[in-house]
Amino acid sequence: MHALTAAALAGILMPATPASAHPHVFAEASLEIVVDSAGNVEALRHLWRFDDLFSSTVLIEFDTNSDLELDTAELETVGAVIHESLAEFGYFQFVTIDGRDVEMQAPERIIADFQDSQLIILFESRPAKPLKLGGTAGFGVYDPTFYTAIDFYDDASLTVSGMPSGCTRAVVRPDPDEAIAMNQQSLTDAFFDDPSGNDLTKIFATRLELTCKG
Amino acid sequence: MTVNKTAVRVVFALLALTYVLTHFVGHAHAQSSLGIGASEATLPSTGLLAGFFNWVNAQQQSFYRALSGAMRAMRDGGGGAWLLVGLSFAYGVFHAAGPGHGKAVISSYMLANEVALRRGILLSFVSAALQGVSAIVLMGAVFLVLRGSSVSMTDATRFLEIASYVLVTAFGAWLLWKKAAPALRRLLVGSPVHSLSAAHVHAHHHDHGHHHHDHDHDHHHHEHGEACGCGHAHAPDPKLISGERFDWRTAWAAIVAVGLRPCTGALIVLSFAFLNGLWVAGVLSVAAMSIGTAITVSALAVMAVTAKNWAVALAGDGRAGNRVHAAIEIAGAAFVFLLGVALLSASLSV
Repeated sequence: MHALTAAALAGILMPATPASAHPHVFAEASLEIVVDSAGNVEALRHLWRFDDLFSSTVLIEFDTNSDLELDTAELETVGAVIHESLAEFGYFQFVTIDGRDVEMQAPERIIADFQDSQLIILFESRPAKPLKLGGTAGFGVYDPTFYTAIDFYDDASLTVSGMPSGCTRAVVRPDPDEAIAMNQQSLTDAFFDDPSGNDLTKIFATRLELTCKG
Repeated sequence: MTVNKTAVRVVFALLALTYVLTHFVGHAHAQSSLGIGASEATLPSTGLLAGFFNWVNAQQQSFYRALSGAMRAMRDGGGGAWLLVGLSFAYGVFHAAGPGHGKAVISSYMLANEVALRRGILLSFVSAALQGVSAIVLMGAVFLVLRGSSVSMTDATRFLEIASYVLVTAFGAWLLWKKAAPALRRLLVGSPVHSLSAAHVHAHHHDHGHHHHDHDHDHHHHEHGEACGCGHAHAPDPKLISGERFDWRTAWAAIVAVGLRPCTGALIVLSFAFLNGLWVAGVLSVAAMSIGTAITVSALAVMAVTAKNWAVALAGDGRAGNRVHAAIEIAGAAFVFLLGVALLSASLSV
């Protein structure tokens, strides 16, 4: 009987827990990884195109002169606001070598543009220390807060310029159920270690894997 | 039929803790990661009902995408107003099934008080409608008046959000005081537990296990006489009369606390609609979302009250039943309060 009561109450209370993701912004990403002749990662060049609906809120919010267009100065403000906010979230990017996180520098600036009623932002980020490709390197983007559903819609949106000859590339799109199952323990640990959950969502993100010998 | 009191207390304590923790965690980033717009962002589901929530989430996302598609089609000259309304409705249903403080406040309020189910449903509808109106008024103001001024939509939303959380906290504190103070006094003074109505015990003899809807009307507090539509008020308690007005006041407090903060999805849809001159479509879409939301919140609130009635019925008559009843009411009030505190602190700490 106790179990029944508990189950009934758990039944009501559980739906109120914020367990599901809740994106309101959709963005299509593309990423170019620039590798120099020595096999070092020089930079990650990001381009994100936001959906029409979110873009229209950006237009309304930043249109200070009320002409229903974003001019250069207004776009600079957009870029600056996003630049400042993304700092707290590692600019939504991740780079790993054999599963370990690689530290990246903050981009100098974020360029915002408006094309076909869509907001586009561009930025470039470099590794904090020289980053030689070796083993398995992973690259991708994700919003740790789930506010933005950002993804590469097409495998071809992930490119490498100056790909070293000994490397192979693969685009990995984790299945959410499998990703949860495979990471159950680490998810549980991560939840208790870092309840703000900044690193959990990465496991769902599409990534480009470069596997290099030597 | 008696229930081990300790077991009941432990269950409630755990539920309360889980609930508050998950809410706090989930709203840790009330400001959006992009710095534009207000986030209601949350964690991925890893818990007991992970599968269900992932499914709700997938539905919600696909409806949202279809909704944006329908709006784009309308902008480009296609029709599809009814499609838009239908999709908005579905989005509202699934949106409310996800995380959010609206249903939590309404459900907890209904747990903490004897509210007739019909009224609880009305409460859900009015608060959802207010949320829709709040979105339309805010967006209209932003579009027609505030645009070009220094007040941005993010600022305005944030203001409403903080106001809403302050109200939730104040409302919770008041509710908790109402519910916990008499119990505390009994505990300290040591007088017998007897404040829960005789009507409550009485009702179980009549209605036990038959129809839970009527059930709800039966075991009521003296101070909420209006909730009783069945003539079981035994004593002509003068509190009954003042209690009725009081009850409506608290109901409005719950409605305003919930309805003040517009949902981000509605704001985004409205901004796109207004920008493209789809005035009627935008308003209709938000109205449909509100109705969808109201249906889900009503369903959850009905579940909450039904489960409470079961718990009280299972605990049986007399002291155990009274204790369970009181514990549920205090827990409900405590949820509202802690939820308000958690949301507010998360919102202000950004």
